[in-house]
Amino acid sequence: MILRQMRRNAIRIEGEHSAALERARGRLVLLGMVFALAYAVIAVRVFDLAVLQGDVPRMEGEVVAADEGLQEKEQVASIRRGDIYDRNGELLATTLKAASLYADPALILEPQKVTQRLARIFPDLDQAQTLKDLEGARRFAWIRRGITPDQQQEILALGEPGLGFEYEDTRIYPQGALATHLVGYADRDGNGLAGVERSYQDVLATGNDLHLTLDLRLQHALRRELGAAVQEFQAIGAAGVILDAQTGEVLAGVSLPDFDINKAGSATDEQEFSRLTLGVYELGSMFKIFSTAALLETVNGSLGQTFDATKPIRIGRFSINDYHAQKRVLTVPEVFMYSSNIGAALMGKTVGTEKLRAFYRDLGLIDPLKFDVREIGSPEVPHPWREASTLTASYGHGISTTPLQLASAAASVVNGGFLVQPKLVAQQDNSGEPEKKVRVISQENSEKMRALWRLVVTQGTAKNADVPGYDIGGKTGTAEKVGARGGYDRKRLISSFVGAFPMNDPKYVVMIMVDEPKGNKKTYGYATAGWVAAPVMAKVVTSMASILGIPADAYDPAKDIVYNLDRYIHDPKHKKGKTLVSYHE
Amino acid sequence: MSRIALRADKSLWYKILHMNWGLVFLICCVTGVGIAALYSAAGGSFSPWAERQLLRFGVGLAGMLVIALIDIKIWYKLAWPIYFLGLAMLVLVEIKGHIGMGAQRWINLGFVQLQPSELMKIAVVLALARHFHGASPEDVRRIPFLVIPAIVILAPVALVLLQPDLGTALMIIMAGAGMVFTVGAPAWLFIAGIAGTAAIIPIAWQFMHDYQKQRVMTFLDPESDPLGAGYHITQSKIALGSGGLEGKGFLQGTQSHLNFLPEKQTDFIFTLWAEEWGLLGGLALLGLFALLFLYGLVIGYRCRHNFGRYLAMGISINFSLYVFINIAMVMGLIPVVGAPLPMVSYGGTSMLAALIGFGLMMSCHTYRHSKVTR
Repeated sequence: MILRQMRRNAIRIEGEHSAALERARGRLVLLGMVFALAYAVIAVRVFDLAVLQGDVPRMEGEVVAADEGLQEKEQVASIRRGDIYDRNGELLATTLKAASLYADPALILEPQKVTQRLARIFPDLDQAQTLKDLEGARRFAWIRRGITPDQQQEILALGEPGLGFEYEDTRIYPQGALATHLVGYADRDGNGLAGVERSYQDVLATGNDLHLTLDLRLQHALRRELGAAVQEFQAIGAAGVILDAQTGEVLAGVSLPDFDINKAGSATDEQEFSRLTLGVYELGSMFKIFSTAALLETVNGSLGQTFDATKPIRIGRFSINDYHAQKRVLTVPEVFMYSSNIGAALMGKTVGTEKLRAFYRDLGLIDPLKFDVREIGSPEVPHPWREASTLTASYGHGISTTPLQLASAAASVVNGGFLVQPKLVAQQDNSGEPEKKVRVISQENSEKMRALWRLVVTQGTAKNADVPGYDIGGKTGTAEKVGARGGYDRKRLISSFVGAFPMNDPKYVVMIMVDEPKGNKKTYGYATAGWVAAPVMAKVVTSMASILGIPADAYDPAKDIVYNLDRYIHDPKHKKGKTLVSYHE
Repeated sequence: MSRIALRADKSLWYKILHMNWGLVFLICCVTGVGIAALYSAAGGSFSPWAERQLLRFGVGLAGMLVIALIDIKIWYKLAWPIYFLGLAMLVLVEIKGHIGMGAQRWINLGFVQLQPSELMKIAVVLALARHFHGASPEDVRRIPFLVIPAIVILAPVALVLLQPDLGTALMIIMAGAGMVFTVGAPAWLFIAGIAGTAAIIPIAWQFMHDYQKQRVMTFLDPESDPLGAGYHITQSKIALGSGGLEGKGFLQGTQSHLNFLPEKQTDFIFTLWAEEWGLLGGLALLGLFALLFLYGLVIGYRCRHNFGRYLAMGISINFSLYVFINIAMVMGLIPVVGAPLPMVSYGGTSMLAALIGFGLMMSCHTYRHSKVTR
């Protein structure tokens, strides 16, 4: 009985036990299913992220784009940007790995203190902004990019765990502001933004070096003398270029004001502007070079030809006057020497509109210059070109060009008559066939033009440009700028000079332009080219002579190329056969 | 009866030969993935992570095998002592933390920085298995009987919350609750529990730390601040996405090697793995984890005593919960909680805890026919 009871109990317990076991196993299966589901959800999500959203830009569009941009940048950055050298192998631009300083604000416990310490290392630090960054919630803030090793050492000495370094390619311009507008600059990502850095982006970005025709020594001399002139005459700017008269290679090219291209970001628009290649100016009387050459070349004019400059030419309500009025009939050399506007206008009239314009075009004065930088100004030519335009364009009014363009055309006239295409980048290889020389005037006429240039320095408006023994020639140009109300402003001048030396076979052509010079005591208040630009020429040539080692020749007036022009000069003050230039010897 | 006793008393060699070597093999595979990922995380170098992880695994593996060979009855007897030892360590850490003026979760044992809260998860499972071992089905359905399990779970939770470590606390609750559910507690309790939690959330919100609130907010909308609080998740997703089907290749992951991915060697190691090995690699690792979970369930299922069954299940639940939470976190399915990926993430305690757990599980397997008495 008891035994049976026990057995019944045992069975019941057994039954309950198995029921519990059943439930436990059921729950176990349920739990297993829950986890299987969880794994499945994860697997689906991995598939979703890795495959479905993998290739297409997705919701975090910006960040993805940044990421892809970075990878792209990495690829480009892996090719080191090419260096830029001058003709002697002097370094103008290179790329170095430089440290950039950043902060992780979360690791900076005392933002105030850190900011003060940073300010001690970087005196020009924007402290308010830095403090704001360091106190911010973001985990990353640039403090300063492209720091020097010394600065990095000082940062390391601070021992601040929240400051770190990233190493980036940084463009370094060892010459600073020396050739600002020609070298140009590139941004942090290696995109050239100006100068050859921009125009030769493809070459540099693929790691090729660039060799310029510049000679840094001449560049320095030219920049120094132009800077001195700007200072002396309180000019708003200046430009200058030294060309190889035969090849058109730019040996030096300056535009002032300029700026240190290592700090391109802080340059003003005025500094960024290249007066040499982008600025378009009415350069005035220097155009008499081209109208005179046109007379000799296109209509077989002779130097003995005369032009009546006794009275101004009237065109409607305007009249053409002479600055150094002689009030008599002038020969071609006299027109050139005295820079007679009336004479030049009459020469232009003799040449004729069509021929003058075609000649100007052949010299490259009508179309934008083809040059190795892209900052090129388009000339402004009379439109429509009437007969009156021909008269004014003969002495450089109503026609505007860039200084570099004018210098190139002037070089073409005196180098033997071959068109000069200015070049900034040296030919990479000499294997290519020599460039075809394009003749613009005959050798004979070119030699006549050389004598005329020399005449301007020996007896004309540019006596201040002469350097004994270097046989300098050239032409001045003083132009009034167009005023705010239209019409010319007598106070705002462009004083310029284009010259060459040695004049019997020019090797170098130098162009000097000073923008809005003010006369001073030394110049008796004059701000004209003869007083402002011509002396700069003399100083530049003096420097060039010593830099390039050009010896001065003993001077014999009887052998001067201007000697045979004597017969065309009818100035009563002028005595034939006498020394044409007085030297302080 | 005698057969069982015979089995239990087999020679050491017999036990070693009949250990669950399949499980050991799986564990080695998963750890291998971890070593490879750590090697890659260091930019193709064994130092500083992979070599130390390998060393720890060696020590932990030996420990695991020793634990596996120890009779399950001994573990049964030690369940409560271990639990209280764990609690004591948590209290110790709390006191040390107070003295050291800051949050401290570690005890330095010299060779490893021990994190008691990690070990506590196993201790809770042990204690719960011990408690439910002798329980009759009626017992389990009686509320007073469930008071002790509740205390067993909530005592360490309270201590862990004090640290404060919300993630671990939540995981102890979830693993414990999962166990109590499997044992057979009334289902309505859990439904009520979930409902109650939902009701508490607004109140708990006020007590949460700012960084915790931030994590939840970021989870809800990670793209709102991709460079700030949402940075982890956004970068992690980019990495997963950039891996594609076949991945970028070993040591080729840019997101991780360029330091876009934070904590790549610990919590976000799955992302690093999936970026380099792609969808296939990610799924393969998931498959390994699923197999491990399955092994645990089968061991529990085949156990002839409740203690072993509950223990194996509890450890499986715990382990899988970790895996799920970590991977779901790096993929932006749940908020960022500081949970490592067991066996794979760099970290001593988490590896140790996982191996101890698997050791116990293997002990359940080895002694599955033992008779465990109260």
